[in-house]
Formats: sequence, C-alpha cells, structure tokens
Amino acid sequence: MHIAPPRVVIGRRRPGELKTPHSSTQQAAPPLSETAYLPGEAYDEMFAPGGLTRANYRLLDQDIQALGAQALADRQKTLERSFLLQGITFTVYGAGSTTERIIPTDLFPRIIPAAEWARIEAGLIQRLAALNRFLADIYGDQRILADGVVPRDLILGSPAYRRQMKHLFVPHGAYVNVCGSDLIRDRNGEFLVLEDNLRVPSGVSYMLANRDAARRTFPHTFREARVRPVERYPDLLLSTLKTMADRSNPQIVVLTPGVYNSAYYEHAYLARLMGVPLVEGRDLAVHDNLVYMRTTAGLRRVDVIYRRVDDDFIDPLAFRGDSALGVAGLFNAYRAGQVTICNAPGTGVADDKAVYAYVPAIIRYYLGEEAILPNVETYLCREPVQLSHVLQNLDKLVVKAVGASGGYGMLVGPHASVAEREAFAEQLKADPDNYVAQPTIQLSTAPCLVDGRIEPRHVDLRPFILSGEKVVVTPGALTRVALRRGSLVVNSSQGGGSKDTWVLADQHDVSVGDAPGTVPGGDGP
Amino acid sequence: MMLARVADSLYWLGRYAERAEHLSRLAVVMLNAALDQTDAADQAERIAMAAVGHPAPEGGEALDCARLLVLDRKTSVSVVSSLASARENARQIRDQLTTESWERLNLLYLRATGVGAEAAFAADPADFLQRIIADLHQFKGAAEATMSHGEGWRFMLTGVYLERAQLIARLLKVCFDDETPVDDHVALVGLLRMACALEPYLRAYTADIDARNILEFLMFDEDFPRSVRFSTERIQEYLAHLSGGHEFGRHDPLRLAGRLNAKLAYADIDEVETGGAGALLGAVSAECAAIHASIWETFVAYPLETRLPA
Repeated sequence: MHIAPPRVVIGRRRPGELKTPHSSTQQAAPPLSETAYLPGEAYDEMFAPGGLTRANYRLLDQDIQALGAQALADRQKTLERSFLLQGITFTVYGAGSTTERIIPTDLFPRIIPAAEWARIEAGLIQRLAALNRFLADIYGDQRILADGVVPRDLILGSPAYRRQMKHLFVPHGAYVNVCGSDLIRDRNGEFLVLEDNLRVPSGVSYMLANRDAARRTFPHTFREARVRPVERYPDLLLSTLKTMADRSNPQIVVLTPGVYNSAYYEHAYLARLMGVPLVEGRDLAVHDNLVYMRTTAGLRRVDVIYRRVDDDFIDPLAFRGDSALGVAGLFNAYRAGQVTICNAPGTGVADDKAVYAYVPAIIRYYLGEEAILPNVETYLCREPVQLSHVLQNLDKLVVKAVGASGGYGMLVGPHASVAEREAFAEQLKADPDNYVAQPTIQLSTAPCLVDGRIEPRHVDLRPFILSGEKVVVTPGALTRVALRRGSLVVNSSQGGGSKDTWVLADQHDVSVGDAPGTVPGGDGP
Repeated sequence: MMLARVADSLYWLGRYAERAEHLSRLAVVMLNAALDQTDAADQAERIAMAAVGHPAPEGGEALDCARLLVLDRKTSVSVVSSLASARENARQIRDQLTTESWERLNLLYLRATGVGAEAAFAADPADFLQRIIADLHQFKGAAEATMSHGEGWRFMLTGVYLERAQLIARLLKVCFDDETPVDDHVALVGLLRMACALEPYLRAYTADIDARNILEFLMFDEDFPRSVRFSTERIQEYLAHLSGGHEFGRHDPLRLAGRLNAKLAYADIDEVETGGAGALLGAVSAECAAIHASIWETFVAYPLETRLPA
C-alpha cells in the first residue's frame, strides 16, 4: 500500500490549488484557496497526508496545472454536452413535462496503480469463484448448510432463494456471469468489499462512456500514463455468453424491460456493441420448450438470454404472475436445457447483506483460502449477542435492512438524530433478522471539479467481473462519487455521480494493449 | 431477418420524420404568405390547415395557425409531437441506429422541444422551422451515409414514402377536389412550395404555373422525389426486397403496392380533370392505408403458429 508519510513541503502549492489562465505565478485563484481542498480524515486518492501528490497522479496533476481553471471548466462543459448528445441520460418525470438529465460525471479520472489492481483482481476472481461454488451447492446438495457453515434458515428462508433452481444444470457452474462488486477504501488505504452485486448489476456503460470522455479530456496524460484498456468489455461479454450455450453459433440476445427502464441506455449500448438483438419480453415466445424471437421473417430460435430484468419478472408462470415484462414458459425451457438465462435466476440469495457476512467463511469452505479482499466488519442482528452490541452502539454504526438496496432502508447512526435512532431501534428489535450493522467507514476521497473548484468527494469502486468458462476482470471500473460534500452515499438514485477509473499498466509490462485478464493473477485461484 | 418490433419502430421513425418535415414546410409557406397581405394568405392558411385536418382557429392569424401546427403537443399532428414520436421510436431501437444518425435526431429533438424552443419560435418562426427542416435533412443524410442499406433501412424508407404519398395526395385533394379548385397564381406557387417542388417544377414546365401541370407533376412525375408516383415506386421496390420472394396471399403488401404503382404509372393526366382528381387521389389514400395495414399483419403481428421455423 502506497502511503506517503506526512511531511511539510516548503514552497509547494497546497493540494487542489489551481492557477487562473492568466497568472503565471504560483498564486492560487481565490476560490481555490486552502478551504477548497481539505482531504480530511479519509484516505485521499490523489494526495498523501501533507499534501504530496501520489506517484500515480503526478502526470494528471501536471496536466491540471497546465490547463488552469477556465480550460477545465470548458472541458467539463464539453463532457456534459457529449453525454447529453449521446443520450446517456435518465428521464425525470415532472408535472406536465419530462426532462432528461445526464448522470453527473466528473472529468478527473481516478487512478489505480498496477500493484494495487493486481491484488483487487485476484481478490475479485477468488470471491466470484467461491460464490459460484456456493450457489451450485445451495441449489444442489447443500453441503455447506449440512456442515453448519452458513445457517440453513438464512438461505432457505431468504426471499431471493428460488426453489425452482434446485438441481438445475448450469453450464460451467457459472451462475453469476456478470458481477459488479462494490469496493471501498478505508482510512488506511486498504480496499474492502462492501457489497456483491450478483443479480443484474449495471453501470458498465458508464465505465465505457467515461473512458471515452476522459481520454478526450486529458489526451496527453492518458497516452503517457499507460492506462489499460476497457474497450474490450463488450466482446468479452459476448464470448462469455457464448460459452453458456450448448449449440455452436448460438443466438444471443439482451433482454430489457424496455425504454422506460432507467438503465435502458446501457441495455441498448451493450446490444449494439455486441451486435446482438435487444429484445423485450413481447418479442419472445416459447413453443415446445424452445424459445423464439419474433422476426420479420418468422420465428427464430434463441439460445442465450442476457437478461437485464429481475428474477421476479422473467416468467409469469414460474415467478410473479402479474409480470407483463417476461415470457410465459421461459423458465421451463431453461429447465429443459433449451436456453440459458444469464445471470441464472436465484443468484440474489448470495448477495444478501446477511449472507455477505459469511463470504469469508464461504471462501475458506470451498477454496481453502483466506479472502484476499477483506469484508467490512459486519454485525448480524439475528445473533442476540451482536444485536445487543448494535443497540448499544447505534450512534457509531450504519444499520442496513438485509433485503434493501440503493441506499434505502438504512440508518447512518452518526448522522441521525436521537429520535431517529430510537425509532430505528424499535424496528430493529421487532425484526432483528432483517438487519445487519457495520461501523461507519470513511470512504476514500478523490478530487472532483465542483462549481469551478477542486474539492474532495467520497468515492467507491465498482469493477466488473465476467464468468463463463473462464473468469475475466476488466481492468477498469466505475468509480461512483458522492456529490454532496461529506456525503457517503454514492448511489445514482440518491444523487451520486461517477468518474472514469484508470488502471495503470505495470511499469515492467511492455504489453499495455494486452487483453484484459492476462495480467498476473488473471487466471484465478 | 430482424426483430418484428424493431422493424415496426423503424417504419414509424420514417413516417414521423417525414411528417415533421412536411408540417414544418406547410407552416413556413403559410407564414411567408401572411407577409404579403393579400387574400393568398387566407388561401395558404386554409390549404395548410385542411391538409392536416385541423380546423383553422376562428379569426386566427397565420401565426396562431403556425403555432398550432408546430408547437401543440396535445395533437399528434404537430411538428414537435412528430419529432417526439420519431425520437421515441428511435430510442426504442437505439441499438439499430448508427451513432451519427441518432445524434442528429436527438440534437434536433432536444432543440425543438427543449426549454428555449417556444421563445426561439416566437422570435423568428421561419428561421426556427427552416432549421428543423435542415436538421431533418441532416438526419436523413447521416442515416443514408452511415446505416447499412439492408432490411431495417428498407422498413424506415417504406415508412417515409408511404407517409409522403399520403401527405402529398391529401394536399392535392384539398386543392383540387373542390367545386372551386385552386387556380390563383400565388396560391399555386404556395402549393408547389408546400410540396418542396417549386424549383424542380420550373425546370420541367418553365414558369408556366398551371393547375393541370402541377397536378401532373406532383402525381405522376417519375423523377421528382415528392411525387406520388415516385413514392409508390419506392414502396414497391422496398417491399419486393422485404418479402424475400414469399407470397402472403391476397393481402400481400407487395401485391397491393404493385397494383397502386401500376395505376399511377399508366394513368393519363387527360383523364384526370382538375376538380375531378378527387377519385384517383382518394383511391391513392385508401390503397396506402391498406398497404400500411398489411405490412403490420405480414411482418409484425402475424399469428405464431403460422411462422414456426421449418
């Protein structure tokens, strides 16, 4: 871990200071004075304590200084306009009018050195390998439950557990074909896993769009810094999906809930870049356990469905009967081995916030290894001892509902009022199984351009892992940004933004243009 | 082979883009005529409003009529509604369009429907509309230059030409199917402008502005891209590709298109008196509607059992 010791650097500008376009001295523009960049207690991605720029950010730092405030503001505008033009927007439905907004995007990339990435990559591959084994087990012989490593009621009682998946053959045991884990960096600069997203993780199109924009914003730095490419994600996804079919030359499709879904842009984007049809439920039909799509030339067989529709909605016969998004009979065709659904239904049982606490044990159980990427310390309120600890320390903890996501249903103890904490304590006591608690983690901060000033904002990291016949981690990620000063909530549904993430090539590695996944640790445990 | 829903959206995208362009042109001609302070202004207003099936607002000025044609989102027959529908269809099949063509359309949509649009229209309505027309040409040009001219393209253009044939037929019907067909010089020039036909007409017939010649040109000309005949010929051509040699029975869209095209190809202007052109123009509209319905039944909403793979 690269942490420069705190030291005073004489004559050096303070972090975050910028030159105005016309000043040639080191004097800072007024709005970028000392108050502008206060890294605070959290680990800062760019500046070591004492204000020294970390090695991986040095090139970018020079570029920022050379550009100055005005040029940066111009580039931020160009970037936002390019997103609007491409239609990378979400729709806000207001009274009588609808407007489209872009997802807020920051122009400074977040930069990760090669050595740190190698560890992240190895950790992600290990974790997904174990979780796939876990899913195969709980939908198979349930050894891990019989051995008492994970409580039986936690799994079988989970609303995300799908009995329908029991003893169903999944090619390569790859239940989770696309995984988007959320990592954070703690005060010491260590990466921790905050959450595993195993259902229908989204955000990969922002990773690609951000890259496209950042490359144009800082062309010089980009070229010099030896950034590893993320552009192969769509074709790697396509090859992963192909390995899930049992016919040669399979027909792959992307299944979307439709144009009103907030991630529709991404669904269309991936379909376009993979060159496969983007279908909706109404385009598909099942006849004699074969899945077809309606084309202008009649019905055409479908082999693999990369679905971006939740479990509940894929087949009204197997899951929710009131779903209009799905395809009647699809699950039966899947059971009959005539089509593959990616990700497999029922993967959500393993990314539950309570199951999360058991992942290190799950890794140990199946792989005989210690987790490379640690978990955030988690208290399970279902255990009476841990519950009483949580109740006594509500003011220091973050309490989350097990089934909820997107930052909903949680209490951030240190920021809540006494009354809020008391009300939450009652909910907790009434239904302890439904809650877990974690210490508040100071997410690391990264510099962002906010109203013409460079300010620290908290960030997390969502890399994307593909798993079919092989496991591949794309060397890049979506860095989500909490836009409000001091806020720790990065979810886009709650006012989060994003920025590009540069993974640097190893200095001794000459093949910068390598295929993702071939770096050290790329083959997995 | 493409998704039936996608083909349908491309077809509608073509129709709405064409409609937006036509409505913009009607509005521009109407506004320009209003500058002249003659009764030609009233004629232009009457023709334009009747051609889109709007009742002219009572005592309405040309600007009020134009605002209705351009900005009214409550009706489906306005420029902004057509653009919104075109863009909505495009968004649903975003993966089928090239980035170049999508961005043209998206930009046009954002400008014509965004916050500043009403003010821009109020400030200079003709300029606002000319820009929309130019942007639509850019969109079509970008699509022509960057999209594969395969099945999707043919569905889109079938939509464009079906819409065009119906719009022109309707415009002519309004002018010539009356007891008092339009014969005023200024109004006839206005009609040619509404069909974007003035300059090509002048080259073909010189400055002899004559109702019979105009009818002949806009109905039967082989080379002018906005004549009804030109449109039906394209429709037949695209449908011949789309059917791929299959025959779909009595309601085969290709069969209907071929019949309509033959009717126009072998018609004789001497048999179509102005003032009596209504019968043929009515038949054109009806046949276009039948082709539209049969495209839907043949390519999109067919019963599953009939079309399982062999």
